[in-house]
Amino acid sequence: MIMRDVFVIGIGITSFTRLEYPLTEIAAYAAMMAMKDAGISKVDHLYVANMGSGRLNRQLALGSAVVDSLSLTPAGAETIENGPASGASAVKQGFLAVASGLHDVVMVAGAERMREVNPFDATDTVAMMTHPLAEYIYGVTLPSLAGMFTRLYMEKYGVTERHLAMVAVKNQDNALLNKFAHIQQKITVEGILDSPEAMTNNPFVAEPLRFFDCCPVSDGGACVILACADVAKKSKKPLVRLAGVGQATDTHCVHERKEPTDLLAVRGAAAQSLKMAGVKPSDVNVAELHDAFTILEIAQSEEVGFFKKGEGHLALEKGQTSLKGKIPINPSGGLKGRGHPVGATGVAQAYEITLQLRGEAKERQVKKARVGFTCNFGGFGNNVVCLTFMRED
Amino acid sequence: MALEIYAYKCKKCGHLHYPFRMRCKECGKNDQFEFETVPLPRKGKLLTFTYVYNLPPAYAVAKLGLGIVELENGLRITGQIQIPEPKIGMKVTGAVEAVREDEYDRRYGMVFYAA
Repeated sequence: MIMRDVFVIGIGITSFTRLEYPLTEIAAYAAMMAMKDAGISKVDHLYVANMGSGRLNRQLALGSAVVDSLSLTPAGAETIENGPASGASAVKQGFLAVASGLHDVVMVAGAERMREVNPFDATDTVAMMTHPLAEYIYGVTLPSLAGMFTRLYMEKYGVTERHLAMVAVKNQDNALLNKFAHIQQKITVEGILDSPEAMTNNPFVAEPLRFFDCCPVSDGGACVILACADVAKKSKKPLVRLAGVGQATDTHCVHERKEPTDLLAVRGAAAQSLKMAGVKPSDVNVAELHDAFTILEIAQSEEVGFFKKGEGHLALEKGQTSLKGKIPINPSGGLKGRGHPVGATGVAQAYEITLQLRGEAKERQVKKARVGFTCNFGGFGNNVVCLTFMRED
Repeated sequence: MALEIYAYKCKKCGHLHYPFRMRCKECGKNDQFEFETVPLPRKGKLLTFTYVYNLPPAYAVAKLGLGIVELENGLRITGQIQIPEPKIGMKVTGAVEAVREDEYDRRYGMVFYAA
């Protein structure tokens, strides 16, 4: 298979919070930051990741709107929808376009504006990706699937609510070092579990998951610009190569999985991505995992291969996943701290890893990071895209 | 006629599926819709469950019980639970009842009770 190398030459991001701007402008703002970062004024093609604009914002064909808002016409543009993995799916499409030789410079933007609707409609919109006849009709939502998953994980592997709270504390601490992160609040395990206020400040959302186990509903946009070697060589920034892409799927209904505590799509996608890059899980220096719920960071850290199955929470206890640990996970704050504008998340993960590998992450910089990894988790683990990045110098 | 929820049995290899899928997961050899319908058993054991508090607009309740149940024939199903103190592994019995109602629509599904 002859493929060209693909490099990240520009990155941009908006604040993840409630944004009072039209969705098109949220995507275009991040895109302009990325163009400035890359020092380019033209791209060959644009992929825009978004999941729910039809229902959330009454807007469709976002790609066409963004390319025109950026005055980049007549470049080609497409909207990529793959649930919460839309972002990494769009990065993967950009990778394919450059690697194949079809295009030299491709812009990949992701954006979502979820707070234009009320929280009940936002929850319902996200729940629309569950099985329409066997899950959705019952009132199944993503938090409820995560709740049922968490209960099994606790029963089987001895994960406790304190472990879950430790993920929340770690990621919100990291988010305090990220000015673009949605949640800017210092919390402690005692404060959200043991204090007299805990019952009111941290109520159940989907037992046994509590408020602080769930990511916020955010607006936001992120962008990366991918290019072939000839273009990338002209860049003054340290070169970061997108070295591996992997994707795998699993059953639509969670109940159809033989072992409901396994996330086989994560396992498959991560293995593919790392193999393509020619590295092992132990070679990864920094990772952004899809912690839409705290339990998912623990489970994914095992399925990717950083820790043995059932031991992720033990590594967490020892601080191995914190900023100064053996394998820092979610230095950006993750979905928990940075926020989760669904379509933007996968691109924001790529943004953070590029920043880390360039050495531009300031207070939250992971020292000597050369290999970075992202896991973008679609549905409840039924469609997962993993990316591996390497610093080239 | 009593309401039923059906499993789908592949006419080529006999593998049971729930919910419906077009192509058999086991043998992949069936033609479109080449399944026999078999009513789902009502008895089973609770594999996992949750009570969820942030509900879509269609639900005018404070919290909703949801669970995954392994039925007598080994098939699993997601459903609502009406069990005050659920425990993993407990025996449950299902009934087909309205599970989602809004202005224009009433959907039926399996609701489980302690057996």
